[in-house]
Amino acid sequence: MADSWTGGGRLVRLYGRRDRVLAPVWVLVLTAMCGASAVATADLYAGTSELADAAHLINQSPALVALYGPILDEHSLGEIAMSKTTVMYAMFVMLMTLVLVRRHTRAEEESGRFELLGATAVDRVTPTVAATAYAAGVVAVLGVLSAVADVAGGLPVRGSLLFGASWLGIGLVGVGIAVVACQLSASTRTCGALGLAAVATFYLVRAAGDVGPGWLSWLSPLGWGTRLRAWGDPRWWVLLLYPVTAAALVGLGWALHRRRDLGSGLVAARPGPAVAAPSLRGAASLGLRLQRTALVGWTVGTVVLGAVFGSIAPTLGDFFKSDAARAALRAFGGRGAVEDALLAALLHIAAYVVTAYGLSVVAAAGSEERDGRAAVVLATGSTRRSVFGATAGLVALGSVWLLLTTGLGMAIGFGLQTGDVADGVGRLLPAVAAYVPAVLLTGALGLAGFAWSARWAAAGWGLLFLFLTLGELGELLHLPDWAIGLSPFQHVPALPGGTVHAAPLVALSVLATTVGFGAWLRYRSRDID
Amino acid sequence: MSNPIEVSGLVKTFGQFRALDELDLTVEAGEVHGFLGPNGAGKSTTIRVLLGLLRKDAGEVRMLGGDPWKDTADLHRRLAYVPGDVSLWPNLSGGEIIDLLLRMRGVTADPAKRTELLERFQLDPTKRGRAYSKGNRQKVALVAAFAAPVELLLLDEPTSGLDPLMEQVFNQCLGEHKAAGTSVLLSSHILSEVERLADRVTIIRAGQAVETGSLSELRHLKAAEGRLGDGATLEDLFLDAYRTDG
Repeated sequence: MADSWTGGGRLVRLYGRRDRVLAPVWVLVLTAMCGASAVATADLYAGTSELADAAHLINQSPALVALYGPILDEHSLGEIAMSKTTVMYAMFVMLMTLVLVRRHTRAEEESGRFELLGATAVDRVTPTVAATAYAAGVVAVLGVLSAVADVAGGLPVRGSLLFGASWLGIGLVGVGIAVVACQLSASTRTCGALGLAAVATFYLVRAAGDVGPGWLSWLSPLGWGTRLRAWGDPRWWVLLLYPVTAAALVGLGWALHRRRDLGSGLVAARPGPAVAAPSLRGAASLGLRLQRTALVGWTVGTVVLGAVFGSIAPTLGDFFKSDAARAALRAFGGRGAVEDALLAALLHIAAYVVTAYGLSVVAAAGSEERDGRAAVVLATGSTRRSVFGATAGLVALGSVWLLLTTGLGMAIGFGLQTGDVADGVGRLLPAVAAYVPAVLLTGALGLAGFAWSARWAAAGWGLLFLFLTLGELGELLHLPDWAIGLSPFQHVPALPGGTVHAAPLVALSVLATTVGFGAWLRYRSRDID
Repeated sequence: MSNPIEVSGLVKTFGQFRALDELDLTVEAGEVHGFLGPNGAGKSTTIRVLLGLLRKDAGEVRMLGGDPWKDTADLHRRLAYVPGDVSLWPNLSGGEIIDLLLRMRGVTADPAKRTELLERFQLDPTKRGRAYSKGNRQKVALVAAFAAPVELLLLDEPTSGLDPLMEQVFNQCLGEHKAAGTSVLLSSHILSEVERLADRVTIIRAGQAVETGSLSELRHLKAAEGRLGDGATLEDLFLDAYRTDG
């Protein structure tokens, strides 16, 4: 152990230096979500009877229970307030650890920088051990801050501390999953996909357990947060499950790393074709080829996400008879008070997710250029027009395609509950179409960052984060309307159900086209890295 | 017929830094032109301007009778480029990348020629981009460059990471292309390689050409100045060009 840690402290400082923006932003957003949830719910329910009614109704809806987990104590303000954060945002904590660990281990190994560090006075596994410690440290900070945010939001201290501890625990389990996943394949992307699949599986197992056989939920770390009963009569021993699981996973990951060669995975890399398929012949087909796996994954993911979202809405038939129920619906992100409004609210969330795809394409184009591959492509007969066009086309067509698959997924989920899929399609296709201009504008802004300089290719992520914050937390933070209105997503009609005004949609479309064209003008005449 | 590369008074700045400072460079048809200079002297910047990746700030640049900034893609169909540090797509195989690069130049490689080059360079085309070593990544780009006839080769330290055996294969391939009439701009630090292959050389310092001519011309010049003896090697000439009093 002492050997594995030699030089580890310096590596942890290096990781912190490299993540000086990424890690704090992620931690602060998740902390803000905790605080916002606490404040929002405390404001919403005046008396305990309304609270109990709302909690009871949530428990009556299998779809909501599947999404957010059950509310075990229907009289607990804390439990209602934090039900989203206990399960759903806990998953985001795990995703954060996956990003952090992968970034400093497998990604560095694939790029060859790991070797540079590995040749200094450190052990072969030290970078992985240091990444584990570093990610655990970030999670510990998050655990403390989330507890503080809960207390600040008006929740009881003991419950808040337990909640923070559960986030620390789920984060540690996330670190363990990430460390193991990063040993499995030589490909950074495959490792990420494996980690993501593990988290998704835990989420689904928990969902199945929460609506069906309860013991299943004990098998998923994402189910433990609810069963800890942080806000009522706590089961302290549940807190032990996290570190035990995390230690087992981390130990497994370190052992796997110790046994394997640098740059290799547990799963041997398959050889590739000796000659290229005839279809691989230009910038566009290259872009499509590089995105192929990701697009398939996103397509499946959006259909499943859509189907889950779509199937929630109709189960709320009895949900709207009391004021408390309407209030509860609003607490879960609703804008109105009918099932259409719930569909619209869920679609709004899905639109942010789809936007992330386009931005990931832009970010990948930035890496292509910074790593020198764009120069190699541009040194052939490929024009700048075709290289830029390939990226812009993938952003635009990919986003539209994924909006469509999201809409179809929702229509199917909705239709299977109501027995009328055609009705679902009729409601949702216009609704997803309305999001096209806003999603494309955000994508075009990301593209403009890339066009300005390859180093700014990831700037779109910051914008998406800004839009998300403005839209979802703007009112809570008492921001002025004009500031909230900076997010294009605020100008999309709340369909199905809402009224459509053409002007904002036309304005967004014109803006998206203008920004996209401006990006092209810049890219056409700038130096290539 | 005009020279394949004619550069005069080329200036390129990055912010305050003047990377190319009125550089002159001429590559004549059918010659191998050695392009020498220490790290940071502006060799790669020159090649990137020739490729239309960087926009010149001043000066004249003609390549294959065209303007590299305006006629970029058309000119690229007539040349092949090998960078000094080849980065490959991690999940594409070497064979796929070779075919892709050739097709993007608008040429189809003779399958027999392709196979022959893979054998000569001892390159396994089924490995993924991420699995190749530095030298093998370099070979992927070299096979793609040598697999079809071409008018001009732009080689930016093409043999970095190659073992001596593979360097020999590279020399042979370059000789074959030269015999077929290809013009070559060869930027390199390996002076013995340049001495053996190059018809003429240009030595640059801080973005300016300080010496240009054939090896024997440069030797005579230096001998006449009394700086070097008649038997001066390229290394002597190179070091002389960098003497502080020069």
